[in-house]
Amino acid sequence: MSNIRKTIVSNCEKTFLLKNLAEFNRLDGRAFDEFRKVEIEFGSDWGCCFVSLGKTKVIAQVSCEIQQPKSSRPGEGILNLNVELNPIAAPHFEADRQSNEQVQLNRLLEKCLKDSKAIDLESLCIKNNEKVWAIRVDINVLNHEGNILDCASIAALAALAHFRRPDVTCDGEEFVIHSIKQKDPIPMVIHHYPVCITYSVFNSGLYILADPTLLEENVADAFLSIGLNAYKELCGLHLGGKADLSPEIIIQTANKAAARASSVVQQIKDAIEQNNEIRREQKDGFCRLANKRDPVELVEELSVYLDQWSTKKKKNKRKSKEPKDEQIEQEVKEPDITADIKPLVAGTAVLVPKENDDGDAIKVWDTSESEDDAVEFVELPHPKVETVDIADTDSEEEAVIVLNADQKTKKRKKRLT
Amino acid sequence: MEATKYRCNLDILSRPDGSVLFCEGKTTVIAGLYGPVEVKIQKAHIDKATVDCHYRPKSGLPGVEDRLYESFIRNTCETSLVAALFPRSAVLIMLQEMQNDKQLISCAVNAACMACLSSGIDMKFMFGAVTAFLTKDEELVLTPPIIDKDIKALFVIVFESTEGRILACHTEGCFSKEQFNQAVSICEAQCINVFKFFKQTLLDNK
Repeated sequence: MSNIRKTIVSNCEKTFLLKNLAEFNRLDGRAFDEFRKVEIEFGSDWGCCFVSLGKTKVIAQVSCEIQQPKSSRPGEGILNLNVELNPIAAPHFEADRQSNEQVQLNRLLEKCLKDSKAIDLESLCIKNNEKVWAIRVDINVLNHEGNILDCASIAALAALAHFRRPDVTCDGEEFVIHSIKQKDPIPMVIHHYPVCITYSVFNSGLYILADPTLLEENVADAFLSIGLNAYKELCGLHLGGKADLSPEIIIQTANKAAARASSVVQQIKDAIEQNNEIRREQKDGFCRLANKRDPVELVEELSVYLDQWSTKKKKNKRKSKEPKDEQIEQEVKEPDITADIKPLVAGTAVLVPKENDDGDAIKVWDTSESEDDAVEFVELPHPKVETVDIADTDSEEEAVIVLNADQKTKKRKKRLT
Repeated sequence: MEATKYRCNLDILSRPDGSVLFCEGKTTVIAGLYGPVEVKIQKAHIDKATVDCHYRPKSGLPGVEDRLYESFIRNTCETSLVAALFPRSAVLIMLQEMQNDKQLISCAVNAACMACLSSGIDMKFMFGAVTAFLTKDEELVLTPPIIDKDIKALFVIVFESTEGRILACHTEGCFSKEQFNQAVSICEAQCINVFKFFKQTLLDNK
């Protein structure tokens, strides 16, 4: 067995990430509430699916067998979820050993799928107190690039929705299991489709990132995982790590997650429908994956990002060249950032630095300089300082009062968004 | 006789040093390789790298049969890799079953070889495996029969690429000596196609 230690996040990686968050940038260029792309592929067997969430990849397989029911629930079938963190996903995962991470993932998935009673267990009963179907979902993690939970929950749900169990008939005494060729297999009865949606929490709720990558996951103070179905019903809530979050933030995040949940569930349903159509023509299953070529974007993404990083630096230098008081020079950076916030709320953060890259930003500064230069610059930094205050005090009222005193309506808008 | 179709997708996973999704007919396996990496002291060899193999079935826990596949693939890889180059380290080969259409072992071996090639680790030679089936009509075929009961015996033979020697052999079922020799010869012929495929894929992925 291997003995590879977990990769440690270096301090420079950590500060780089946090510094970027302060400028509302994510390392992969996503907006704060943007998720990675979900892809669902089904195998040729019933109840087998391969899900990728960005670069995180998971394979799920549902299997069934006949068992004696639990004495406490004689009329219900059994559902078992089993997440396996294989060393293929990350070298520090150990095979055949339950790690804390694995137990937590298992429990969170159980909470989301089993405890929310999404699967109708009563329909799995063959004979009361004697024979029931035991459904087992095996989720093998293949590639760990952050947010295994979301990926695993999508895979488990898609596999369960795709799965069909063989039909069983009873002629008085004998039970006969009909093979798939003899009788059409029966799909599972699913009441509602719950999925887990995970957020990373930084600086006690100041930055909340949807669908964290591996690095973000490791740097974050805490993670907030919300189980939701397409009807916006909560099926599980877990706040792990150490963070003091206010209830408002949790409610706000849950509302955002609800929109995501319905789109994910729709995608699962579409994928199953599409698969049923393909199934009639060909039964190749995963072989389709071999022909698919992923666009090579990993290297590009990073270099694009690093380009932005360097232009940002340059810009600051240019501004400092402008004839200003020494005090203002330091603060020039900040109005620049506040100007960035606007496009960020509307869409992705990537666009922002590009737009005021060379021409625009400088032109704006030039005009302001000629008109009423000094006044503009002194005023702008103030609200920026206040934004920090809000996060610290957690009270909006206080901040609003301060703002009114300043009488800057322009800035207030930004805070509200 | 219809030829088995090979397909693969290199570097499908980002974490392992080398990874591949390999399809042989309808059988699909994902393989990943880490190496050379740190090793536990009790497992370390002072003169060579420890080659370790993990095989995961897609449902349930790995059983005795899966352990057998694991050791079969490990032995094959151990002979092929130049382990002496990396003393006191380990090479980990991980295999995940995706879809099984009776050619699982040969597909896993081929996937392991592709993973080694994609990671760029030093090898003495490539290795490729072919599965041959003996049907109940005493006929040797390379494509898996549709019905399980039609298979009387199964041969998995692993060859190396330089001199075509046999590296490993796995059989199931009853067969005569002549039938075995016949199986070896048809597998040997088919294995040339496997190596051709390996080379073509590597050239395409350059």
